[in-house]
Amino acid sequence: MIAAPAPLTARAALQPGAYHAPAGTAAQAVPFLRFDGVTIRLGGREILSPTSFDVARGEFVCIVGPSGCGKTTLLRAASGLVTASAGEVRRNGVKMTEPSREVAFVFQDYGRALLPWRTVEGNVSLALEAAGVPAAQRAPRIADVLGKVGLAKHAHKFPVQLSGGMQQRAQIARCLAQKPELMMMDEPFGALDALTRQSLQDELARLVREDGLTVLFVTHDLEEAIYLGDRVIALQANPGPGRPSLARMIDVKIPRPRDQLSTKEHPEYLHLRRELFAFIEQGHD
Amino acid sequence: MTNGRLLRWLRPWVFPVVLVGAFEWYARRAAALGSDALAPPSAAAKALAGAAIDGSLWTATGFTLGTAALGLLLGAVLGIALGVALGLSRRAAQLGSVSIEVLRPVPSVALIPLAMLGFGFGVRMELAIVAFATFWPLLVLVQAAVQQVEPRLLEVSRVLGLSARERAFKIVLPAIVPRLFVALRLGVAVALVVAVTVEIAANPNGMGYAMMIAQQSFDPALMLAWLGWIGIVGFAVNAGMLMLQRVVSRRMGVPS
Repeated sequence: MIAAPAPLTARAALQPGAYHAPAGTAAQAVPFLRFDGVTIRLGGREILSPTSFDVARGEFVCIVGPSGCGKTTLLRAASGLVTASAGEVRRNGVKMTEPSREVAFVFQDYGRALLPWRTVEGNVSLALEAAGVPAAQRAPRIADVLGKVGLAKHAHKFPVQLSGGMQQRAQIARCLAQKPELMMMDEPFGALDALTRQSLQDELARLVREDGLTVLFVTHDLEEAIYLGDRVIALQANPGPGRPSLARMIDVKIPRPRDQLSTKEHPEYLHLRRELFAFIEQGHD
Repeated sequence: MTNGRLLRWLRPWVFPVVLVGAFEWYARRAAALGSDALAPPSAAAKALAGAAIDGSLWTATGFTLGTAALGLLLGAVLGIALGVALGLSRRAAQLGSVSIEVLRPVPSVALIPLAMLGFGFGVRMELAIVAFATFWPLLVLVQAAVQQVEPRLLEVSRVLGLSARERAFKIVLPAIVPRLFVALRLGVAVALVVAVTVEIAANPNGMGYAMMIAQQSFDPALMLAWLGWIGIVGFAVNAGMLMLQRVVSRRMGVPS
């Protein structure tokens, strides 16, 4: 079962994302994040068929695929929220069995992921409290991350007083406060309107570059995946017995920084967009 | 506008006023016919004023309210702690289910003989029974409330790496505050009822006992005074709880 996706693993190892820091020899021997035949069965159904790929440090990997293909489950396995039925996820060579503070998780439903009884500031503070940061050191760190996501003026507001976009910024701020090295994002902008989504995409790209974060980003929006990612991984639903969920891996070689106008007119962007759309449509019939 | 508001404010009082008036008329007629089992509300009000002046009203009210509050505190702390534990762990809930279902229906008054043997007459017996009576509704309601805490918040606490203690105090308890207040208001009502009952049945202290003494000394006016007073105290306590609930909700950013 693990044999099938092996060529993909090899390919990923040979072609690390184009826009991360050059990896040393040691880092090449032990990939930053390795999915090795990760399989998840829930209630007798195989949600995720054996999936293997590597992620290099600093890489922005987008995961796309039809609903029910296991994108979210893959992310949850990678953060230790669910345990793989077979195979394993290794971060820096260590098997992930439970959530770690170095791995942040941005949920899609920001409205439920924020504590409604805490202000924006209080919600960010929760991450610091969990990490045991002394009270005196919290305020400057909270101000720092809120400044980064543009919520400095809204620190004392409660989530219900904020728009959806601002709530999602608050959740991202809480994740940044964790000082993670890896950030999992599960359709974080899926529920937002187009304009808010675009500005959040650009801010996320900037934050990730500034902090040197590695990101796994699940989305159903193919254009968003190409726009944000160094690499796009396409999963397929119900691949059939013994076949991997991972169907396609595409490197996005569009220069950074990217912007909403010129990047989306870039020949490579248009080419990848066509390729990915054709592939997804093919998978649907 | 002002008239409408005045009417709206007055309307709930119409029925009580009519009722008291009718009772006044009926009791006076009964007294005129030679009955000493009833007293008109005016006589009860006079008796209440007398009890307020000689201080017995305040001593007895203080005793009953204090005991009910302390008993509720005991029952609530234990009930909330166990409710959170049973709500968070399915295994614990299974372990406790039979014991809870057997013990919960035992009427609190049925514990008076046992409590009297254990604690004798007095505060400790009443405290134990009030605590027992309030423990169950709080346990059951808190357990249900904990089971309904947004699962996403529990995932957030896992991802952030909160300890079990932090999860209980920073996620679960704040999340159940609205439901906790509903449970506490029920607990307050139960505590007051049980405290007065225990005083009527066994404990020679408090408002319940004062009412019994008035009855046994053929003083229907004073007895009715106590009865009405207990109702007023219950009303005031519940109104106070509602106000507290509103203040807490507002402070926690939850629109009530």
